[in-house]
Amino acid sequence: MNIAVCVKQVPDTETKVKLTEDKKAVDESEINFILNPYDEFAVEEALQLKEKYDGEVTVISLGPDRISSAIRSALAMGADKAIHLQVDENPQDPNVVANALAAELKNGGYDLILLGKQAIDDDHTQVPSILGEKLGLPSVTVVIKLNIDGDKVVAEREIDGAHEIVECTLPAIISTQRGLNEPRYASLKGIMRAKKIQIEQKPAQLSDDQLNIIGFEYPPQKNPGKIVGDSADAVPELLRLLHEEAKVI
Amino acid sequence: MPSKALPSFSKALFSGILLDELLFPYPKMDKEEAENLKLVQETFKKFADDKIDSQKIDEEAHIPDEVMNGLKELGFMGLSVPEKYGGFGLSNTGYVKMLEFIGGTDPSVAIMLGGHQSIGYKALILYGTDEQKKKYLPKLASGEMVASYCLTEPGAGSDAAGIQSKAVRDEKRGVYILNGNKQWITNAGIADFLTVFAKEPITDKDGKVKEKISAFIVTRDMKGVSVGKEENKLGLKGSSTASLFFEDVEVPFENVIGEPGKGFKVAMNVLNAGRLGLSGGSLGALKHVMRPALAHIKERRQFGKTLSEFEMIKEKVAQMTIDLFATESMIYLTSGLMDRGDVDYSLEAAMCKVRATEVAWNGINECLQMVGGLGFMKEYPYQRLMRDGRVNMIFEGTNEILRMFITLAGIRDEGEYLKKIGEALKGPIKGFGVLTDYATQWLKDRVMTEHIRDVHPSLANAKVQFETWAKNTHFSAERFIMHHGKNVIYREMRQERLANAAIDLFGMISTISRVDSLIAEKGEEKCKHEIMIANVFADQAWRRVRRNLLMMDSNADRQMGELSDFMVKQGFYPFATESMEILL
Ligand SMILES: Cc1cc2nc3c(=O)[nH]c(=O)nc-3n(C[C@H](O)[C@H](O)[C@H](O)COP(=O)(O)OP(=O)(O)OC[C@H]3O[C@@H](n4cnc5c(N)ncnc54)[C@H](O)[C@@H]3O)c2cc1C
Repeated sequence: MNIAVCVKQVPDTETKVKLTEDKKAVDESEINFILNPYDEFAVEEALQLKEKYDGEVTVISLGPDRISSAIRSALAMGADKAIHLQVDENPQDPNVVANALAAELKNGGYDLILLGKQAIDDDHTQVPSILGEKLGLPSVTVVIKLNIDGDKVVAEREIDGAHEIVECTLPAIISTQRGLNEPRYASLKGIMRAKKIQIEQKPAQLSDDQLNIIGFEYPPQKNPGKIVGDSADAVPELLRLLHEEAKVI
Repeated sequence: MPSKALPSFSKALFSGILLDELLFPYPKMDKEEAENLKLVQETFKKFADDKIDSQKIDEEAHIPDEVMNGLKELGFMGLSVPEKYGGFGLSNTGYVKMLEFIGGTDPSVAIMLGGHQSIGYKALILYGTDEQKKKYLPKLASGEMVASYCLTEPGAGSDAAGIQSKAVRDEKRGVYILNGNKQWITNAGIADFLTVFAKEPITDKDGKVKEKISAFIVTRDMKGVSVGKEENKLGLKGSSTASLFFEDVEVPFENVIGEPGKGFKVAMNVLNAGRLGLSGGSLGALKHVMRPALAHIKERRQFGKTLSEFEMIKEKVAQMTIDLFATESMIYLTSGLMDRGDVDYSLEAAMCKVRATEVAWNGINECLQMVGGLGFMKEYPYQRLMRDGRVNMIFEGTNEILRMFITLAGIRDEGEYLKKIGEALKGPIKGFGVLTDYATQWLKDRVMTEHIRDVHPSLANAKVQFETWAKNTHFSAERFIMHHGKNVIYREMRQERLANAAIDLFGMISTISRVDSLIAEKGEEKCKHEIMIANVFADQAWRRVRRNLLMMDSNADRQMGELSDFMVKQGFYPFATESMEILL
């Protein structure tokens, strides 16, 4: 099975986000970047399918130079090849990203395209669906269970309060959700193997960015809590404050 | 270390020569290795978050099999084994950074891994033949075999040359017969590969038979090897520590590591090389505990303010930060020297170990103090990290022994006067002599230097302070030798002061070098705090150096010695206060 996994490099979940002075962008200078956690499920699923059906796993990632470490992470887990679609700066518009990925994917002859359900930085959750549209392929998102038999795909996806079971045929696009599998750790052997793999670099085919970010704002500071008292005597005062100060009742 | 190793920076400093070319610019890791290291750290972090429960390891005094197997499968047992023998082939710098990282997660795990690879199989890496390496390193790298370094005995701790274990050659069978006991051996309970030091009778050139130390590969499956019960320890509870017994164990001739009779040098150089791992691990533990401590003082309010607003708390935070930064600068400068491969780093490694273990101990103690009673409670990590870190000042050479080493090895070849007493100096501190004759000659050909290269103007003051006190330390060392002659080896209180001065000087120059290189890379604007740290550290350090040097000549050493003798003779505290006549 010829599998492509599209991955993104994102800031570590523990990052304290700082904005640039003009508040037009996030200040990247002190950020530790990692492989998007949802993409790890995609890589793991690809590796398990490869172990079962044989084939090849290609990692594809779009981004500036710094993303090579995320690509290495995916290779270190066990992927075979990698393509880096180069840009100076990450596009803001998921449509542009999907276009660039589609341009690369359409000639790759992939049976299956896997992606994380969303990137944890901008949280658009759009690329998998747009890709399906652009490539004319079935796209099943937020998948927590995946069964592939021949070219028949049965995928269980998470929807509000229930699970939906979807059938389609390969080639297909699947976006992965936590619970699908347990991503393996990259072993030191894997890291050494990854070091020896040449990452194929090519400029990304960029379409017009239709999303214009005007600015970022920090979430409003929360006021510190207040302890009014510790017995029933405090209730009237509490009610007064909730009514007059917090204005919630 | 090659025999043509350049002299160590600190040894030259005692001789009045400032070899700043060894320390500038501050060493930088190879970019590719740095990238790999990040991936290894990510793997370790994920694994640790999922699988390592430090509180449980401490309480159950055991590293669970799941963790051990995971570490083995992922490759953490072979961090520094060269790739061609199945390891990951990290540089010394990379290795120390990993141990810092692991020490900052769980010290028991770090000591298990360090006991295995910093010292357990280090002799094999440094002195083993290709055959020996081929036979054992792949298994050691995969963790199929776990290693121990077996030097200490009930009768020989600091005085390691006094070991009693014996190996006698049986020429007919081609084996040594090994007998002896080893004590407090890290990983003893889980190890299969033992680097054992024992004495064998060796005939000198002049025909005299002398007992000399050799290093042997002993495997756990050999008949006559047994393990004692696990020690019940203050800390590092998850790591195995036990005695090992050797009873008529037959060890094949080909299992000698290095030359027969040269085992003491092997033992010492393994420790020299291993010390930085322990230094890194110590700092890691302090960094680890600073996180919750800083969060706590930011939140906790007393007297209507957060703890972080009080000056005495600020002082603690600033001090541990400065000490951490300076020590870290020393460690990664020294690991860079190791990676160069052509410099004697033994003194600097000893300095790093002394400073790092004490900075970590003090820092963790202050973190505990800052969080108050909460620090005393078992559900918080402070008390465990204190317990875990305590032994760092004791093993791999106690900090007292290392201070002796720093001064005595540092001044051994200093100047012409030393020639006269050179023999006397060499005798009792045998094994300290890791400095080569080449290095001595190299130094003698140099003239005294008083200045180092120019540094960024923001560090100019620190540089002058360094130069001034480096020169004074040289003169002080010279006077020490002139006044005390061969008795310098007994003047330990003075040795301690000179060692402390040298450590501070090395701390100053390491910090200056690191920050100078950082400014060159990032610009002054972006290094505000680093510059502040370098300057404050230099200011604190030169004052300590001055005090230590003043006390070389003017002190109460004699009275202190007398008082101690009196007390030891008494055997208890004899000065009664009113109605406390029953003495404790
Ligand atoms: C948890 C643990 C793990 C260990 N792991 C290993 C291991 O893997 N392999 C191994 O070989 N050993 C190991 N050891 C042993 C350790 O290296 C020794 O404990 C250490 O070298 C000190 O020896 P000692 O305990 O006999 O103390 P001693 O040598 O008796 O020293 C006691 C005190 O006297 C001081 N002292 C001794 N001589 C002098 C002097 N000349 N001047 C001033 N002060 C002096 C010492 O600094 C110390 O403070 C381990 C120990 C522990 C506790």
